[in-house]
Amino acid sequence: MAGLAQIWALTTHELRKRWRSLVIWGVILGGLGAVYVALYPSMSGLMEDYMNQMPESMQGMFGEFEGGRMSIEQWLGMEFLNMFVPVVLPFMVIIMGARAVAGREEGKTLDLLLSNPLPRRNLVAGTALTMAISLAIVLVITWILTYIAVPIAGVDLSPARLAAALVTIWPLCLAFGMLALLVSTLVRRSALAIAVAAFILIAMYVLETLAQVSASVEPFRVVSLFYHLGNPIGGDFPWTAVLVTMAAVCVLGSAAAATFARRDLYT
Amino acid sequence: MSSAILTEGLTKRYGRRPGIEQLDLEVHPGEVFGFIGPNGAGKSTTIRLLLDLLRPTAGRATVLDLDARADSVAVRRSVGYLPGEFGLDVRMTPRQLLQYFATLRGMRDLGDARALAERLDLDLDLPMGRLSRGNRQKVGLVQAMFHRPPLLILDEPTTGLDPLVQDTFLQMLREARDEGRTVFLSSHILSEVERVCDRVAIVRASRLAALETTESLLEKRRKRVTLVFDSPVDASAFAGLPGVSDIRVQGTAVTLRLSDGIDAVIKLAAQHTLLDLQVEHPSLDEVFLGYYDARQPWPV
Repeated sequence: MAGLAQIWALTTHELRKRWRSLVIWGVILGGLGAVYVALYPSMSGLMEDYMNQMPESMQGMFGEFEGGRMSIEQWLGMEFLNMFVPVVLPFMVIIMGARAVAGREEGKTLDLLLSNPLPRRNLVAGTALTMAISLAIVLVITWILTYIAVPIAGVDLSPARLAAALVTIWPLCLAFGMLALLVSTLVRRSALAIAVAAFILIAMYVLETLAQVSASVEPFRVVSLFYHLGNPIGGDFPWTAVLVTMAAVCVLGSAAAATFARRDLYT
Repeated sequence: MSSAILTEGLTKRYGRRPGIEQLDLEVHPGEVFGFIGPNGAGKSTTIRLLLDLLRPTAGRATVLDLDARADSVAVRRSVGYLPGEFGLDVRMTPRQLLQYFATLRGMRDLGDARALAERLDLDLDLPMGRLSRGNRQKVGLVQAMFHRPPLLILDEPTTGLDPLVQDTFLQMLREARDEGRTVFLSSHILSEVERVCDRVAIVRASRLAALETTESLLEKRRKRVTLVFDSPVDASAFAGLPGVSDIRVQGTAVTLRLSDGIDAVIKLAAQHTLLDLQVEHPSLDEVFLGYYDARQPWPV
């Protein structure tokens, strides 16, 4: 119980410290989502022409158009939910994960923090919970602001489907944050932890993008988390992928706790 | 509690570089223990091993009868620790930091924080980014002491403090000892060690060089004796006296170092006409430097 209280204390402390930046993240992403929704009525026609001029292999990237017209779900998925948010938002938690251990060591604050009766695993758990809640806050703000534009733009978009799409992004982002946390317990340099996690994120995204247009790359797309995002805004929620990603988050968190517990801390 | 701190063969190596080697040390409950040595001698390494921030290469340590490694959380619950170097979140105030640490410790209030801050003249509500070096050190001291731990482990605690605050702080350490609490103090400022410590361990090149009461260490210091006669005397006679060394003659004055009693020197000097006699007691600094003088043999 005392352990849970400590983890909660760590989490609330970190959230209190960074609530402004979370709101800014949410407002930027939600604002952008609202802009995409607002642009849909004027862009859908243009996109149709644009798509018709594309090679067939490229058209495959965007799926079938119902009635020959791009839906709001496809538009948001293509431009915002499958491209922008899952590539940009992980950086928020990657930085948090990298700074949790290596960053604190670099800033010489870790000794002081661990002079308290705080087990190292609780610091890892508190960081993971902070990342999870931070992501949830940003995604909720994103959902609210994006959905505000729906009646204004006069489009037909289910709030549940938009929520499902954002919920799918949550474990993906968390996995990259946990990866950065794991690396930061190993390498003691936050910049390196950020670089490693960011490289894997970008590599997975590029792999998934290439796999959509290249048959030779296609077999490898299973290793990319982006492949497993599926099409939740289209009503196809990827339960298995979400659960497997959450399992990966747990594995990464356990590995981070184990490596952090074993190693020396330096100032 | 049999000992506040006990180390047995405690060793830490950083690759091939030694941190501390084969340290056997016992700190008794209720004493102020000085752990002195120059930078890089292994003081901070030892302290970080006691707090489980570093893992020993060999040996073991117990703190308040708890294994420093296996029971590290329980150890840290009962220890107030001031790191030698530490950073603070510049956006927070000292009060916010202390509230955070109090929550992590399961405390319902700020304990002694207000009283300590008042004595050290620290404003708890100023953002830490606006605090001077000395005031940041005060924050470190308050966070180490505010939960009234039975053992204080302080690494270079007076760094950056002005002399008046140093006096107040040393008084606080004496009060802690009077309350039966134990203080383990690392320092390279010997005057403060001389003023508050009951016993002193000297580390040299990652090894324990001496472990004695401050009193006996000071007793061991070699006095400098200057004898001024009415005419030049044969100083070689003094060389045969017990404890006499480093004899120098300058005109009618004879200067020597003396580690034993002065009686024999006085009796020999009395055979001549003695105009003046001066006895200088060196500070602990000089004793300490004696341990570090490469020409001196190792005392342990």
